[in-house]
Amino acid sequence: MSSPLAPAPAPPSEAAEKVRAEVREFLAAEQAAGSFTTHVDTWLSGVDPAFSRKLGERGWLGMTWPKRYGGHERSAMERYAVTEELLAAGAPVAAHWIADRQSGPNLLKFGTEAQRQAILPRIAAGECFFVIGMSEPDSGSDLASIRTRATRNGAGDWVVTGAKVWTSNAHHSHYGIVLVRTAPVDPGNRHAGLSQLLVDLSLPGISINPIRILDGGHHFNEVVFDDVVVPGDMLLGEEGNGWQQVTAELAFERSGPERFLSTYPLLAEFGRRVVDSGDPAALATLGRLSARLLALRQLSLRIAAALDRGELPDIPAALVKDVGTTFEADVIEEIRRVVEVAPSLDSPDPLARALAEAQLHAPGYTLRGGTNEILRGIVARGLGLR
Amino acid sequence: MSDQDLVVETVRDILSAHEPFVLTPERPWDAELWSTLAEAGLTGVGLPEQAGGSGGEPADAVAVVRTLAAGAAAVPVAEQLLVAGPALVAAGLDLPPVDQPLTVAVEGAVHAEPVDDGDGPGRWTLTGTATDVAWAGVARHVAVLAAAPAGIEGAVLALVDAAGLAGSEARNLAGEPRGSLVLGGAPATGALLPPARAARVRARFALARAVQLAAALEQVLAWTVRYAGERQQFGRPLAKFQAIQMQLAQMAGEVTATGALVDAAVQALDRGEDVVLPAAAAKVRAGAAVEPVARLAHQVHGAIGFTQEHKLHHLTRRCWSWRDEAGSELTWARVLGVGLLADGGDALWPALTRVV
Repeated sequence: MSSPLAPAPAPPSEAAEKVRAEVREFLAAEQAAGSFTTHVDTWLSGVDPAFSRKLGERGWLGMTWPKRYGGHERSAMERYAVTEELLAAGAPVAAHWIADRQSGPNLLKFGTEAQRQAILPRIAAGECFFVIGMSEPDSGSDLASIRTRATRNGAGDWVVTGAKVWTSNAHHSHYGIVLVRTAPVDPGNRHAGLSQLLVDLSLPGISINPIRILDGGHHFNEVVFDDVVVPGDMLLGEEGNGWQQVTAELAFERSGPERFLSTYPLLAEFGRRVVDSGDPAALATLGRLSARLLALRQLSLRIAAALDRGELPDIPAALVKDVGTTFEADVIEEIRRVVEVAPSLDSPDPLARALAEAQLHAPGYTLRGGTNEILRGIVARGLGLR
Repeated sequence: MSDQDLVVETVRDILSAHEPFVLTPERPWDAELWSTLAEAGLTGVGLPEQAGGSGGEPADAVAVVRTLAAGAAAVPVAEQLLVAGPALVAAGLDLPPVDQPLTVAVEGAVHAEPVDDGDGPGRWTLTGTATDVAWAGVARHVAVLAAAPAGIEGAVLALVDAAGLAGSEARNLAGEPRGSLVLGGAPATGALLPPARAARVRARFALARAVQLAAALEQVLAWTVRYAGERQQFGRPLAKFQAIQMQLAQMAGEVTATGALVDAAVQALDRGEDVVLPAAAAKVRAGAAVEPVARLAHQVHGAIGFTQEHKLHHLTRRCWSWRDEAGSELTWARVLGVGLLADGGDALWPALTRVV
């Protein structure tokens, strides 16, 4: 069944199962060698450039892109299997996550040939990391209200002034795709006059200031642009087309398995505990949570298959992110109800640690990439209500 | 138009002349609708022609069941087409004529003893009480999953004639018959099923209810969206209020997630795979969607949806019962939990990716 809310079921993919097995083998070897330890929400917090390079060497970044840009021309279903395995293992994937998930596809769709040649092969190699430059101190859900401005100078370059916030891992990244206002606000069309710029974060005039999240971790930043001169050829796509480009980018940002697997490492730890205890109530909880996860997985697989067909499943992506991020937080409460455990980052008990990590990251699940209220508005549009 | 679309169109046409009604002990099912469906060959869809069915794929039978569930049709088609019929065929037993309603009984305490009457194997007597029997008193035949004789593993799937069986009446929250049947040495044809195959019969039943739930919940969402678009308050349709839009979007999330998993479980059934874990997952997910979807649907419909005058209750009352029928949500959640951990705690993820 296919509807505006859900694409048609994904056909089985042998290629995806093959690469899944390869990734599993790789992850087991890495864990055995002590290359990483499992954590919750590692696509935000697990920065490890060396690990990202290993994935690049194995052809697991830029998987769906053309080979002439360093890609591997594999299917979205194969990419889905790889990302899902990495997330389930709680592997450190944050360094390359944004670049591989959305900046690369955005460049592929809207970038100039020179931009693609210069950057995409480096992303696919796991050597070039990106940040998202959308939200600002005064612009969260109301993205069209951004105030960061870019104006052309006499040399045809862009001069950027303003600030972006919640820029995950800007302090480890090389570039940002920054949404800027390039024309004054048109009261009749507030989505007009926006553009995207490809900004080298090492340019003079850029300062990156940490914003610590609840557990004290430094992932977010404020990136301030003080008359930063960005070369004229670093416009991404068309001037004034920024809103349409951002919307397309968000479909990639919202559709993947990271929207329901952020707390999977906690569920995995709970599974180990349930095996030991055999508690029937806990077994039922594991079953209930698993059923929800399996449904989300089916939806996410359908979206991957839709991407393979060249569709832009923005409404299904909003729906799966709403349901998925609600699930991510519910995992914490459901487990607490059936296990005697107190969350602690310092505990020798891995379940207590995972619970603490999941809890302190929880407010973010239903905010990042578009709040669930914004997402439900998009779903309401899919229902014909807007 | 595919064959399946044609079948669905036919069922819809028939349903359009049969409005759902409040079921009572005097009128516990829609006998006229059943006759019409049977005359059109729709009570044999998915069952092999050589066994007396109408042929077609299991997916066609699922399509019929979905359409009837969304229409709150009071007929034992899910039990016949998705559970009892295929289980009898798989066990090599004869199907009763498909124009006579057939149901399945998996609960209670019934045991089977073989009869050595010189007619060869396959003759049994059933003794005990089958409880929570869907359409008890309505179904002409019952496929009973009975305990095997002492010392033998597995269960006996046996077909009994329901005529003349004593029992007690009971109904689910929607008034659908769910009584018990007393079997005092009732003669039956049957086959011994090993434990895994007996488990599959139960799983098929759970999947049938999950299919019905998914279809009913989808219809509840559609009704609620339509109502919100029509009902005017404060000078505009309810659907224009952001608070209502959030509720409808939340319902849509639950309905869509449920549908995706139930579809995947049905595909596993179609491929002939072992459906115990897919069915368990589908049943649990569908059951979990009932509370938010029914609650929000009633909230948006307001007081009129709380009356028997409005059609909403035909589906919400069914959903509130179906989620705990064919094995409760708790039972199937445990089955899923145990199944996923069968290879140990470290193997949970590989197990999850194998289910569907």
